[in-house]
Amino acid sequence: MNNAKMWLVVSPTVGVPLFLGAVAVGSFAVHLQVVKNTSWVADFLQGVPLGTGDKMSAADVDSSKLKVAKASYALDTVAGTEVTVILPDGTHAKVILNMPEQHASHQADQLPLTITR
Amino acid sequence: MTDEGKVWPTGLTLGEAEEVHSYPIDGTRVFGAIALIAHILVAISTPWLG
Repeated sequence: MNNAKMWLVVSPTVGVPLFLGAVAVGSFAVHLQVVKNTSWVADFLQGVPLGTGDKMSAADVDSSKLKVAKASYALDTVAGTEVTVILPDGTHAKVILNMPEQHASHQADQLPLTITR
Repeated sequence: MTDEGKVWPTGLTLGEAEEVHSYPIDGTRVFGAIALIAHILVAISTPWLG
């Protein structure tokens, strides 16, 4: 048989455990990296639809990167509640908060409006 | 020019070496067949391989 002569110079007590160990270590390493680098294994183990983990992480906001305003002031005006925010760089911004209105064009799956400066 | 009855440094003859070799070969074939089926099932049922 092909390569059978290796056992004439490599003792089976060394070669067989070495071979089985290499297979075990290699297989474990590959599967560990799959578990570490994908979300669908965790999704499967948690019994949720595959892809849920990716959606969750995409929607996740890293709160440590958010800058907190030093102060804000709210004032009720005719237009609505006017909020003045002093930003971390010392500038300030004003926001008018109105009571939520639901328009005829509203769709239930729409994301809320996000205002960025 | 291998002497069939010669005892080699590992203490095996050629016939014994071939018998020893047949077990890892059979084991590898069974392992490979099970692994192949398992990987096909994973490829079908998960996003793995796109």
